[in-house]
Amino acid sequence: MRFHQFEIFPVCGSMITDSVPLPIEYLQPECHGTIVEMCGQPCQMQRLAELGIRQGCKVRMVCQGEPCLICIEGRRISLRLGDSADIFVIPAAG
Amino acid sequence: MPSNTSVKDARVVALIGNPNTGKSSLFNALCGMNARVGNYPGVTVEQKVGRLSGTAETIDVIDLPGTYSLAARSADEAVAVNVLSGEIPQQAKPEVAIVILDAANVERNLYLFSQIYELGLPVIVVMNMWDRVTSEGLTVNAELLSQRLGVPVVCTSANKRKGIDELKKTIESTLRSPASTPRPEQFARAMFPSVFHDEVKQLTEWLESQGRKPSTYQVDRLLIDSDGHFQKLICQSGLPDIATKIEDARLRLQTAGCKVPMFETKARYAWVRKLIDGAVVRQESRSASPSDRIDRWLTHRWVGMLFFVFVMFIVFQSITLFAKFPMDGIQWLQAQASGGVEAVLAPGALRSLIVDGVIGGVGGVIVFLPQIAILFLFIAILEDCGYMARAAFVMDKLMTTVGLSGKSFLPLMSSFACAVPGIMATRTIESRKDRMVTLLIAPLMSCSARLPVYVLMVSAFVPDTKYVGGWITLQGMVLMFMQSLGAMVAIPVAWLLKKFFFPGEPATFLMELHSYKWPSPVVIYQRVWERLLSFVVRAGTLIFCTSILVWAAVYFPGDHLSLDSSVSKLERLQSEVSETIAKQPSSPRGTEAPIEDPNIANMQSKIDEAQELVNQQRSKLIEGSFLGMVGHRIEPFVKPLGWDWKIGVAVVASFPAREVIIATLGTIYSLGSDQDENSQGLQHQMQIAEWPNDGKPVFSLATALSIMVFFALCAQCSATLMTIRRETNSWRWPIFSFVYMTTLAYIGAWLTYQCFRFWS
Ligand SMILES: Nc1nc2c(ncn2[C@@H]2O[C@H](COP(=O)(O)OP(=O)(O)OP(=O)(O)O)[C@@H](O)[C@H]2O)c(=O)[nH]1
Ligand SMILES: [Mg+2]
Repeated sequence: MRFHQFEIFPVCGSMITDSVPLPIEYLQPECHGTIVEMCGQPCQMQRLAELGIRQGCKVRMVCQGEPCLICIEGRRISLRLGDSADIFVIPAAG
Repeated sequence: MPSNTSVKDARVVALIGNPNTGKSSLFNALCGMNARVGNYPGVTVEQKVGRLSGTAETIDVIDLPGTYSLAARSADEAVAVNVLSGEIPQQAKPEVAIVILDAANVERNLYLFSQIYELGLPVIVVMNMWDRVTSEGLTVNAELLSQRLGVPVVCTSANKRKGIDELKKTIESTLRSPASTPRPEQFARAMFPSVFHDEVKQLTEWLESQGRKPSTYQVDRLLIDSDGHFQKLICQSGLPDIATKIEDARLRLQTAGCKVPMFETKARYAWVRKLIDGAVVRQESRSASPSDRIDRWLTHRWVGMLFFVFVMFIVFQSITLFAKFPMDGIQWLQAQASGGVEAVLAPGALRSLIVDGVIGGVGGVIVFLPQIAILFLFIAILEDCGYMARAAFVMDKLMTTVGLSGKSFLPLMSSFACAVPGIMATRTIESRKDRMVTLLIAPLMSCSARLPVYVLMVSAFVPDTKYVGGWITLQGMVLMFMQSLGAMVAIPVAWLLKKFFFPGEPATFLMELHSYKWPSPVVIYQRVWERLLSFVVRAGTLIFCTSILVWAAVYFPGDHLSLDSSVSKLERLQSEVSETIAKQPSSPRGTEAPIEDPNIANMQSKIDEAQELVNQQRSKLIEGSFLGMVGHRIEPFVKPLGWDWKIGVAVVASFPAREVIIATLGTIYSLGSDQDENSQGLQHQMQIAEWPNDGKPVFSLATALSIMVFFALCAQCSATLMTIRRETNSWRWPIFSFVYMTTLAYIGAWLTYQCFRFWS
């Protein structure tokens, strides 16, 4: 898996600096974050956006794992993108 | 029943919106129908037409599958888009689009609206789930939105039937005098880059030169969606060059810095944000909602899985525990009905037709109404509370091991009710390969038509052992095992299908999980009632007809005169005995005393003789009947499965529909038994059935299990095969399913019988 180095950080809370984007899988349960980048097939990105997952959105992780359950603007969306796409978030402090 | 077409001169309006926003609930409220409602996305997968009630004009309302955008990706979304743009042959294009928004999630829902707005149809916006606006602490200014958009906005709560009258009035007034069409600069597409507009103009001109008349919306979609729905449509209609044209245009857009397709979503969301600015205020809640707290457990990797198994366990235990009393009641009624007919009619063909054909056959099936009711009660509760989507989430992990995704779980789950809607529900799966695999394994899921067969076999041949103070029964556990057998076999089948027929990576999984809610009693009542009704109708039509055919095949060509006279004699003797007993003054109410009377003892032995004669004559007639002749041909093939010819023909007769086996066995055993045994139901008759040569019981646990395994795996449902044919548009797949399932069933039943024959 990619980004193994992130696993050693507890990425919720103030321990991590605001500027490090990490894959959404690593957002801890009940942590908030902001989507900063999404990459993958354009048609997949389009569908994500139609469901409300897009850059600049605030997300909250409800249930971590594969698939994970995230909360965006009060809606819960389950998500498993596999290797074909990535969503990067910056965890919010506090 | 909702139909699929509308009347010629009716005016047509369509309900469209994101999945699970309450379109079908609203449709039911508007038209007084009972379209299926459930708290997960993808409940409706085909259009339904209803007539608006209480209006002067004839207005037809079309309920459509939910979609997140007009860029259709799955078959159900394509239905919505096709209906809305009038692509369906012989069906009028809707005159008004009623866009249903989830009032608690306006922003995302307005994305779809921004696309529909540009279609050029008059639009009505419905803010459904208005009750949630207050309960979730939102502020939504519908009036302001209406002003900004220039379209009517109506707030409703469909499940509480609130705001329905106002909506009706708005529909009528919009049909009478539509609001003025919006100016192009009001659309979100005005915010698209100018290079894109230039490309649209070019492509439109080219298409017009080819004799087409595309709408702006269609050209937009052609350019934006790579290999999208419209591109496929237009390629099929004989314009193959279009693909290269579009590719070139996209390349030019790319070099000009216009990112296809992301510029569209960006522009639309920007448009939406401007629109709702100040009109919709959401308090950002930092804490978990009650739904989240439940979800933390129910979507947990192991806890969630265990919970799912537990739920299934409860369902099948309840079926065995609670169905018993109502079932006994119906059986008693059945016996009373037979007795009544026998008291009125003399022995003969007509009496036999009614008692053995109709009451024995159809009645035998009706007995299982309580089980069906309990099963659907649970299904309805699970569907309407929102748990189904959670189960799909938990199962995604397992499904990926066979190459499918959690999306496939919902159609499979709905196949537990009936495979036909299950196969229809595969329309929601975007990946064609996944859809095909799901569709081919859906008939393996244990549908409700198998339930009566299992219950019959289990209650007759599995010991009635109870554990934990009677709350857990062995019968319930065997029933649950039989119900899950198909699903377990489906795992390797799916893996093989995916590996050899539809290779590919598991599709990505993306699904919205809507908040839990208390299941609505009306929705549950409707679902259970509708199912019971269709069960009874099925019993009264299909099963009734086959019962009569089977009865005729067992009754003819034998000569029943001597049997009828023996039966009359027997009945006379029996009534004489009871009269004599009644006349004895000193006899206490007990049963022992009269036998001591030599007179009565004498008569009793006469009765026994007559009984013996009747039984002999009966079995001889059955053996010599048409069905008996066919049965003896089949016997060598079914003997290895532990079946006699009667079971063999009953199984063969049940290929068009599974419940027929019960009707057929009911008729055969009713014809082969006398009235006393008849009154104890099919179960008892099966328990005492013997092989003619050695007198051993026909049914053992092994036989019962082998029959159940056969039914679990066999494709005995013509409706399912027809649905597969319709959904795949070829005969290849129904034939394939039939062959593979029947082979599996035969092998499975054989293995089961061979394993269990020495046991017990
Ligand atoms: N709180 C609330 N719930 C509602 C309302 N209207 C419908 N529901 C519930 O929302 C769920 C979805 O309703 P449906 O009518 O099946 O939604 P749909 O839009 O037809 O869904 P799809 O066919 O899957 O696209 C059901 O559980 C309804 O009981 C409402 O006004 N308020
Ligand atoms: Mg619906």
